[in-house]
Amino acid sequence: MVTLALISDTFREALTRKIFWGLFALSTLMILFFLFLLQIDIVEGGVATVGRFGGSVRTMQAAQVVRGVYAGVATFLYTFGMFLAVFASSGLIPSVLEPGRIELLLSKPLSRTHILLGRYAGNVLVVLLNSAYLVLGVWIILGVKTGIWSPIFLIAIATTTFIFAVLLTVVVLIGVLFDSAALSTMITVALMIISPILAQTSLMMRLLSSEWSRDVWRLLYYAFPKVWELGRITLEGIQYGTFVGFMPIWSSALFGMVMLGAALAVFARRDF
Amino acid sequence: MDSEYAIETQDLTKVYTSRWSRREVRAIDGVSLRVRRGAIFGLLGPNGAGKTTFVKTLLSAVRPTHGSALIFGRDASQPEARRPIGYLPENHRFPTYFTGAGMLDFYAALSGLDASRRKKLILEQLELVGLSQWATMRIGKYSKGMLQRLGLAQALIHSPTILILDEPTDGVDPVGRRQIREILEGFEARGVTIFVNSHLLAEVETLCHEVAILDKGKVALSGKMQDLTAGKGYRLTVAQPPEALTEELRGRATSMARRDGLVDFQFSSRELVNGALDLLRAQRCEIEALAPTTSTLEEVFVRTVEK
Repeated sequence: MVTLALISDTFREALTRKIFWGLFALSTLMILFFLFLLQIDIVEGGVATVGRFGGSVRTMQAAQVVRGVYAGVATFLYTFGMFLAVFASSGLIPSVLEPGRIELLLSKPLSRTHILLGRYAGNVLVVLLNSAYLVLGVWIILGVKTGIWSPIFLIAIATTTFIFAVLLTVVVLIGVLFDSAALSTMITVALMIISPILAQTSLMMRLLSSEWSRDVWRLLYYAFPKVWELGRITLEGIQYGTFVGFMPIWSSALFGMVMLGAALAVFARRDF
Repeated sequence: MDSEYAIETQDLTKVYTSRWSRREVRAIDGVSLRVRRGAIFGLLGPNGAGKTTFVKTLLSAVRPTHGSALIFGRDASQPEARRPIGYLPENHRFPTYFTGAGMLDFYAALSGLDASRRKKLILEQLELVGLSQWATMRIGKYSKGMLQRLGLAQALIHSPTILILDEPTDGVDPVGRRQIREILEGFEARGVTIFVNSHLLAEVETLCHEVAILDKGKVALSGKMQDLTAGKGYRLTVAQPPEALTEELRGRATSMARRDGLVDFQFSSRELVNGALDLLRAQRCEIEALAPTTSTLEEVFVRTVEK
């Protein structure tokens, strides 16, 4: 009951932020766009043209189109959607630490860990629902129109929410350390930006001349969340049905656990 | 919950250390206080005396550097110790996306009340603080006085056995203050301990039975209100005393005031007032009145912090 109250409070606060509504509106626009696109003659004609080569070719071509759309939606969610979600979430931790609000929360018979985890879970839930809304919306529209129901697309909900949950731990840690939404956003976005750079490990191992610099690179690569690789896992899974490995998942999860653990430790010791 | 005291602190100390210069500030310094169950206790002190830090240590919002704080015998840092507490913060910042009823529902849920009880109690509390008709209005539109009353309802909703109120009537008009005072007196009658942190001395004097004055982080004075304000001198009123005698008595008195042909002298001890009476009777002056005087809490406060 208490956990539910904390989560619903975060949810309610998130819904007062226009940026979350913006994310929701973009998702809705994208769903409407596909709904519209699949009704126009170009697509119908394209599918019909493919049909002249026989039913199996038509199905194969349509499946490619569908997978392409899936990949586009997943890329949107993973990049632009993720940026928006991080921007929107960055204020949710400092706001609850405001003087006059945090004391009242702390006066209740709750542990500080409970308060922070409730806030964290509420924030993840908002993004989970938005991802599910967009992915399921597009999946159902394409499924109804083409008859192709490819459940692999649904992993985009899990991977997007997972990487957001990992990045949110950085937002939470910076939030409890410095009470700054701007700093939380900057550092988290920086992690997202350096991820594809750090992912060029094999290239960098060849380019870097000294062993210590290669070690530093490897350390950074393994320590930081694998935003880029997780995106690749999602796209390759959707498009080719392949799976490149668990390392990006467990190492990112470990990073998230360390960050969240540090945030809980700082929050537990802080005076308000 | 079997302790004789609702609040008990022992040598409670909080030292803040600057992150860069390592300079130390002792916000509270060895504060030992006991608040009996069912008492209405006032905590007073000038700005920066450490009152808010003291209250925050009771709520575990601030971790003491040294010493202990117990709520009904339980370590205040344990979440369960805070279950009997109803708290109204001074500069509260309630989330403005709530309606009045929604806010009460949220904080009542955090206090562990189930949905059916909350539904019933929300209506009762809003009625108690006179906000029933604004229950569904967003609190962003509430006036300061309305927010204060809503904050009080929030503190009361889970039937706490101790109320910790930081400036409870801040921003409330005189009628509202009276209502709040009556509500608190009602809770006192039910045996609820009330701990008030306020700079409104007249209000504390009206409401509280016991007070402590904090100054520079230490307890400068504490005790029962009647003991602290009682027996501090005598007022002697004389009808038109001769000028030479008036001047002589002015030198012995702590203060003197003239009004409508009468002169009021304030003496600090029985000996001084008896000496003055002897002089006045020797010169056949007429004594209008003689009465022991009590200090106001404000006088006690000023004397204490100016020492």
